This record gives sequence, structure tokens and C-alpha cells, in this order.
Amino acid sequence: MRRRVPEIFLGLGFAGIMTTLYLGLNWAPSVSIDAFESPAAQRIFYWHVPSAWAAFIAFGVLFFGSAIWFFKRSPLGWRLHVAGSEAGLACGLMAVWSGCVWGAAEWGTPWDWSDIRLNTFGLLTLLALFLVLGRQSQPDGVETRDTFSTFGLYGFVLVPLTYIATRFWQIRHPGPVIAAGEDGGSLQSSMAVVLLIGALSFTIFIIGHILISMRITHLEQRLEQVQKSLDGGN
Amino acid sequence: MEEINMEGINYLTVAYLGMITALAIWTWTVVVRSRSIEARLEAVESSIGIDSSQADGIASQSTNDSQDDATV
Repeated sequence: MRRRVPEIFLGLGFAGIMTTLYLGLNWAPSVSIDAFESPAAQRIFYWHVPSAWAAFIAFGVLFFGSAIWFFKRSPLGWRLHVAGSEAGLACGLMAVWSGCVWGAAEWGTPWDWSDIRLNTFGLLTLLALFLVLGRQSQPDGVETRDTFSTFGLYGFVLVPLTYIATRFWQIRHPGPVIAAGEDGGSLQSSMAVVLLIGALSFTIFIIGHILISMRITHLEQRLEQVQKSLDGGN
Repeated sequence: MEEINMEGINYLTVAYLGMITALAIWTWTVVVRSRSIEARLEAVESSIGIDSSQADGIASQSTNDSQDDATV
């Protein structure tokens, strides 16, 4: 049963994401046609914001995993690093893709190279891509892990930078709708409910992915060591 | 060239379907990979007659050894 916990999380999270999409498309109110160029495309917000939230959780796991590996040389830290980078890449790509879809409809262009938020988040996703692809092309070892952990540690500086980007340099990306401070958010209560369900679903989903990814890394290491011991060499 | 209508629910539906499909494929791939490695490990462990706790012991011992080698 314990082995299936990650799969249960994945199933629950996926069902929640489907529910969010249904509610976002059919139940959540439309936005004002005066405020948006493309009011229908605004509904992608119910996917975009939770996937970005999940990406930040994954990048947090990547940072802590990198730190634990780097300073303690703990196998658990390396498992967290691997899981965080894979989950961060997937959620980062979802947030970037959904953002591009919305940008194309609302702004007439999928990307704005002058916007700080877009570019720092894009860099974070590229960092995760580098970590995932780099790890696959390098032989596993302490030196390799140290190198990638260093990137995981230093790359994390982009997370707070991305978070504050729209608060200090609002260029094109919309401002914060949650924890917006005294300005307040423009979110109606029914919209907030759908967004909350989406955030919870993506959180459960990403926890499932992190757990299963950690399990895969653990099993791969075990398999490798057992095969080595079978071969009689170290 | 005909201009693509970027507005409307159809455009959004296509975008959503693409993302859901990608998410489902990713999840399915990870679950299958996990089960496949689990089955391979069980097969190897049963063929040499050790249980999972003994295999864990070998793995942790080997990890410690490789770390010691790297820090020497």
C-alpha cells in the first residue's frame, strides 16, 4: 500500500486538475470585455497560475535537495534534487506554454523579451531543462552531483526575483492577484474558489510526482548497486 | 494567408487539450518507469536470494564507500 501512495496522489491531483478545468470553463464567471482583449482566453488563468505555483514548489524542493546534497552528501538530498528538477521542468513548461497561449490571444505576441517576470521564469525553466538533460548525459558520481547541485543552489535566486518582478517592474505581465497588498486583488469569490481548487490539485499532483521520482531514483540506485555486487566489483 | 482567430473557446479548448495530453503522457511514463524498475529489481533480488532490506544495506554501504573514495 505504501508503495502506491505516490500513485494515489497523482490520481487525486489529476482528478482535481480536471475538475478545475471543468469549473474554469463552465462555472467561473467571464471577465469584463472592456478589461481584456480576449476574455475567453483569460480562463487559461485557472491552469497557468496553479502550474506556476507547482513549479515554485518543485524549485523549492530542488533548492533544498541541492543544499542537502552539497553540504551533507546525503542520498536523500540527491533524490530531492532529481525530483525537484524534473517536476520543475514539467510545471515550468506548462506555465510557460499556457502563458504563451494567453499572451498570443491577449497581447498579440506569445512572448515579451522586455518583461522581467516572463524572462526570469523562462530562465528558471531552462535551468531545470539543463539539469535534467545534463544529468542524463553525465555519468553519475559525486563530482557530477556537486556540479549540478551548485547550479540548483545558485539558480534558486531566480525564484524570489520572479516573485517580486511584477511588484517592482510591472511591464506587461499582469500584477499579483493573490497577496496583492493594499491594492487588493480583482478576483471575484467564485473565481478565487476555482483558483484555490486548482492550486490544491496541482500541489497534490506535484507532491505525487516528487514522491514517485524520488522512488525511481532510489530504485535505480539500488538496482545498480545490486548489479555491481553481482558482478563482484565496486 | 487567413488570419487565425485567437479568441474564442475553441482556441482555448485546443490549448487545454494539448496540455492535458502532455500531463497525462508524462504521468503515465513516470508510473510505468517506476513499476518497470520495481519489477526488474525484484527479479534480480529474488534471483540472488536476497530480500529488499538486505539490498538496501548493500546499496547504502556502496554509496558510503563511493563517497569515501571521492573525499579522500
